Amino acid sequence: MTDAALGSLLPLAVAAPLAGAAVSPLAARLSPRLALVTSLVALLTSLGLLIADAPAVFGGRVLVHYLGGWVPVRGSALGIAFAADPFGLAFALLSAGIGALLVLYTLSELGGLGARELGGFAALVQLLLAGLIGAALTADTVDLFVWFEVAALASYGLTGFFLERPPALEAAFKILVLTTIAGFCVFTAAGLLYNTQGALNYGQLATALAKPLRTADLLALGLFIAGFGTKAGLVPFHGWLADAHTAAPGPVSALFSGLMVNLGIVGIARVSLQIYFAAHTPVLGVLMVLGVVSALLGACMALVQDDLKRLLAYDTVSQVGVMIVGLATANPAGVAGGVYHLINHALFKTLLFLCAGAIVHRTGRTKLSEMGGLARSWPGLAVAFGVGVASIAGVPPFNGYVSLGLIHSGLRDSGQYVPYTLLLLAQVITIAALGRAAWLAFLKPRSESYEQRQYLRLGMQFSLGTLAACCLLFGVVPGYVLDKVADPAASALLGAGQYAAAVLNQGGTITQLHTVFAYADPQELAIALLSVVLGALLAWHMLRRKIPRVLELLRAVHNGSVNDYTGYAVGGIIAVVAAFLV
Amino acid sequence: MIAVNYLGAAVLFCLGLYTVLTRRNLIKMVMGLSLMESSTYLLFISMAYRARSTAPVLVNPPKGQSGTQLAAGNVADPVLQNFCLTAIVIGVAVTAVFLSVVVRIAQHRRTLDADEVRELRG
Repeated sequence: MTDAALGSLLPLAVAAPLAGAAVSPLAARLSPRLALVTSLVALLTSLGLLIADAPAVFGGRVLVHYLGGWVPVRGSALGIAFAADPFGLAFALLSAGIGALLVLYTLSELGGLGARELGGFAALVQLLLAGLIGAALTADTVDLFVWFEVAALASYGLTGFFLERPPALEAAFKILVLTTIAGFCVFTAAGLLYNTQGALNYGQLATALAKPLRTADLLALGLFIAGFGTKAGLVPFHGWLADAHTAAPGPVSALFSGLMVNLGIVGIARVSLQIYFAAHTPVLGVLMVLGVVSALLGACMALVQDDLKRLLAYDTVSQVGVMIVGLATANPAGVAGGVYHLINHALFKTLLFLCAGAIVHRTGRTKLSEMGGLARSWPGLAVAFGVGVASIAGVPPFNGYVSLGLIHSGLRDSGQYVPYTLLLLAQVITIAALGRAAWLAFLKPRSESYEQRQYLRLGMQFSLGTLAACCLLFGVVPGYVLDKVADPAASALLGAGQYAAAVLNQGGTITQLHTVFAYADPQELAIALLSVVLGALLAWHMLRRKIPRVLELLRAVHNGSVNDYTGYAVGGIIAVVAAFLV
Repeated sequence: MIAVNYLGAAVLFCLGLYTVLTRRNLIKMVMGLSLMESSTYLLFISMAYRARSTAPVLVNPPKGQSGTQLAAGNVADPVLQNFCLTAIVIGVAVTAVFLSVVVRIAQHRRTLDADEVRELRG
């Protein structure tokens, strides 16, 4: 097929889940499970369409489609562009693929719910995924805002899905307040940028912003970073994240953590690396600070949690920070590592949240202190959880080792040793937090047996197995993944000029960068070994002693008041904007 | 004078933000967010305005002007006005979700005080 024909498949990949979202509630009237089957078909259709585009895009070509045929005239575009570059397509593929797995998992875990519930659930999940795929493929700032809002509206519904549970309502209110404010930021930023530059198209904006920036442009940049930072759950915009994950059902937390927070990262990467690429702003410095602070604070909060899902949610804050640090290096190794980590995080965090959901489903316990001994009574789940923990910990041969190694070498290449040290510290704390969770839930001896006994159904087994296998696979063949996915994606992010030209010319190519990953690099192996040892020691220390004062203080700051969380977020917005303006 | 509009937008935004930050009543917080939202509408409509421009309608132009003349630059920017419409539609949907969540909270807890709705913390 020609590039134009391949490009015209892009809107269909978004239309399929949107159509599915409309059909699912109707299908639920025939048979409740049919709603989920419909959404599985819609997501697999979307996945198939995206896979059809994959060879061309990962081969270095950018596929562009202007909706309605409103193509640019003399370098200025009024129509909305969908442009598949390797970075966006990798995220779109990940969303459709993991989304389908999650629907399959839901089919066997929540398949017993009523027709109304399952119909609504299937519709919301598909809306959220349509929003994510649309945001990954679009090349238009206001269209990005629209997909942001589509995903946000669906996420409100999913957070409060179990309306009879009061914590779910509380969490829904918090995510509503913070995400609505984030929406204002993104919307106002897109409008300001249009007002000064007269453009919405990424390509046209990147060309226009090569000139010296005006105040309004800098203000827009700050608002973009703050708005997408809220969606990504960066500190100090992270107030909603842990609550939303705790209250939602297992597959929904997996969807939020594995996929939805990445929408924020896609937005930040697009704005800071592809749109403002030629502008000499301190954007990378600001991102580096946000990333390091999130990595550290998220890990510290995860270390003191007693609720398993809440622990994993705070770890998401930390991992998002790690990805942002990777992107903020702006060199091939660091950015490729950031993209690789985004893929890995989607895999292992989905796996861990599904494990947590299965534990809740089986034992009815959410608190770590009430669990224990699950490894003996449920070895399959223990293996799946262990794979997830080892992946996050960066233990070879699992996937986290590769992406963390790449980010480390990116930081070393650019000589940023302070963030490097802090990132390693965050890694040690992360290992301690997850090691503590694995010990308390699975390994700690437990005398009495659990009263509820439910086994993993086939769909659950398949989803957990596939995700665990992917975690291993992405760690065993790093050369292949780098060559086919992470390097092209990094090339698209760093070759912003070529991407901009391709969007405006309705197609083009991007020069490929090549990074190498030395698997048996003694330095990286030593870091992995040392951080695991230190992490284990820290976990042991935490299990025996009281929680240190600093961490108690940190917990007290997260006081659950929605007014205060809004205050932190607004403080963050002001700080980010001030960093650009002053 | 258009500067008044910008000032008005800023004042509305700050009032809304003040409400969200300081009021504990959930309904008042929703109202604060609605105020912030309307300030963005005002901002966008003001940004769309050009000096002495008319509405961006090119059929039946005012006396003495042709559609081509209007299109050449004497109309307000329709793109920003479109965004405003999009934002209004999204705003209505978000407010509806907001209020339904508040209604449910009120049913379950018998309170609208945000300080009593903070089970999830730490």
